[in-house]
Amino acid sequence: MNPLGKLKQSSYQIAILTVVLAAILATWKPHVLVEGLQRACLYAVIALPMALILGIVGIINLAHGDFMMLGAYFAYFLNIYTGMDPLVAIFPALLAFFLIGIVSYRAIIKYVLGAPELNQLLLTFGLAMVMEQLANLLWTSRPIKLPLAYVSASATIGSFTFGIFEFVYVGAAIIVLSGLLLFLKHTSTGQAALAVGQNPRGAKLVGIHVDRTYLLIFSLSIALVGAIGAIFMTRHSIFPLVGAPFTMKSFCLIAMAGIGNLMGIFWCSLILGLAENFVLSFRGYAGWADILFFALIVLVIMVRSRQRQAK
Amino acid sequence: MRKTRYFLYVLILIILLTLPLYTGVYLLNVTDMILIYLALALSWDMLLRSGQISFGMAGLFGVGGYAAALVHLNAGADPLSSIFLGGLAAGVFACLIGLAVLQLRGMYFAIVTLALAEIFRVIVRNLPDLTGGPEGTILPSAIFAGNSTRTYWLVLTVAVVSIIASEIFRRTRIHFALTSIRNDEIVAKSSGIDVFRYLLLIFVITSAIQGIAGGAYAHIYGFVSPEGSFSLDFTLLPIAMALLGGMHSTWGPVVGAVLLGVVSEFLKLRIPYGHLLVYGLIIVIAILFFPQGIVGTIGQRLKRSAE
Repeated sequence: MNPLGKLKQSSYQIAILTVVLAAILATWKPHVLVEGLQRACLYAVIALPMALILGIVGIINLAHGDFMMLGAYFAYFLNIYTGMDPLVAIFPALLAFFLIGIVSYRAIIKYVLGAPELNQLLLTFGLAMVMEQLANLLWTSRPIKLPLAYVSASATIGSFTFGIFEFVYVGAAIIVLSGLLLFLKHTSTGQAALAVGQNPRGAKLVGIHVDRTYLLIFSLSIALVGAIGAIFMTRHSIFPLVGAPFTMKSFCLIAMAGIGNLMGIFWCSLILGLAENFVLSFRGYAGWADILFFALIVLVIMVRSRQRQAK
Repeated sequence: MRKTRYFLYVLILIILLTLPLYTGVYLLNVTDMILIYLALALSWDMLLRSGQISFGMAGLFGVGGYAAALVHLNAGADPLSSIFLGGLAAGVFACLIGLAVLQLRGMYFAIVTLALAEIFRVIVRNLPDLTGGPEGTILPSAIFAGNSTRTYWLVLTVAVVSIIASEIFRRTRIHFALTSIRNDEIVAKSSGIDVFRYLLLIFVITSAIQGIAGGAYAHIYGFVSPEGSFSLDFTLLPIAMALLGGMHSTWGPVVGAVLLGVVSEFLKLRIPYGHLLVYGLIIVIAILFFPQGIVGTIGQRLKRSAE
């Protein structure tokens, strides 16, 4: 294959586009670059577990962001009652949400695996509502936030000052992404999971325990997203609906990157994070930044379906 | 048998028409809301019959509401025709959007419609000169100067029109086209059905119904706002109603809307914050245990006992 043909693969295109965009931004608006990178990594780290569920279990989990919301509340109350730092609370959150994942898979998700896609969508939509409203009922819709001193740490390069705490998202994204890639490519469980994602019947035929794999992947993803909730709540106020936009944004990223393309999600979130911060940096137009995601997803999905038809 | 059925329909219609004679203002207002949700639930179900699941009802509901309010305020159209224009606006919008999004299927269509509702809200919030921005716009007065009897008749008309539309779609060849698209699109295509045209038709009509419902809502309460008119309630509640009553039928959503509408009034008084929890639970339970809904399940039982 000649190098030009390889370039046509979408993730290379996206990567080059990202680098060019970043270079232009670095000289023109450096804070857009830094904040965009941080925001992009937050999007990526939330989208990755959702992509894992969609790619392997084959379920689009519309309650994804709400699991993150619950994770954030979990870390908040852990801090209130035991004084545990939210960043330490990541570990109990991982454990707790792994269990929550097991329970929700066993009690709910399992029963719609064979059902039409429509039922799956409606079920997870209903689940999202239940979680949001339960949070609303228990903790009211008042936004809450922990007063943490270290989140406003900043650094200065020349005349340019920026927050450095948010680089925790970059770290989290790199850890989750490389961890998942290692897990999927280099462990036998991960390989089995990939096989199940490609062809559940075939995987069953060669002796892979499909149901157990689904359970593991679903619970692992929920554990990850719950732990991300703990990181998320250090910097942001939390309220029952805080997770819902992230569900949609994660789906946008997955649809843009293509299902099963974890690396692509990272690049796509870079583009979107930078673009969003770029729009935000113009005074008076900041309100429009929310549209960007959805405008891009509509565009990308359209182009993709056109391409598929052309083939 | 047929005669008794028509007699029953006429009787129900007469009771509904004369409802204001026996009830108070409060009950009429509750009925208004139930009927609006009924129209939404039916329109959602009508699109669902083609296998496309829309989470964008709140979007078109809000577009209809805003269009009706703005036409009334800026162009001086009287409330009734502005409600109609609101429906028209939602229909035209749906036609334009539909040209693009109806290429999509399954989860892609569902999520894009969910996103569209969000986009509409952002647009409305960011055009303060036209729409009043985040605070919304207040109309000079509610429709019919707040006369609850005439308001009720208006909403009843909207509901009956959507029931009739749904029945028309069930009894004509459109029904077969949509059902075959839902079952297997490739088979539908190869039997000569213009899939895209039928989907566009049903999408535009259901959106127009949602727009009219939105317009009526805006004029009844004399108020439109980004959070109120595009509220997720207008997506969530109708879905729960249609699922509880039973999908793919006219009477399923109707029964579901009446049942849940009445129940929700009680819940609202008991748990003012978080009564939507019940709707989420109903969706989950309905999907898990009786995907046919109440009407579907009872219908099956009747059929089985008849055999």
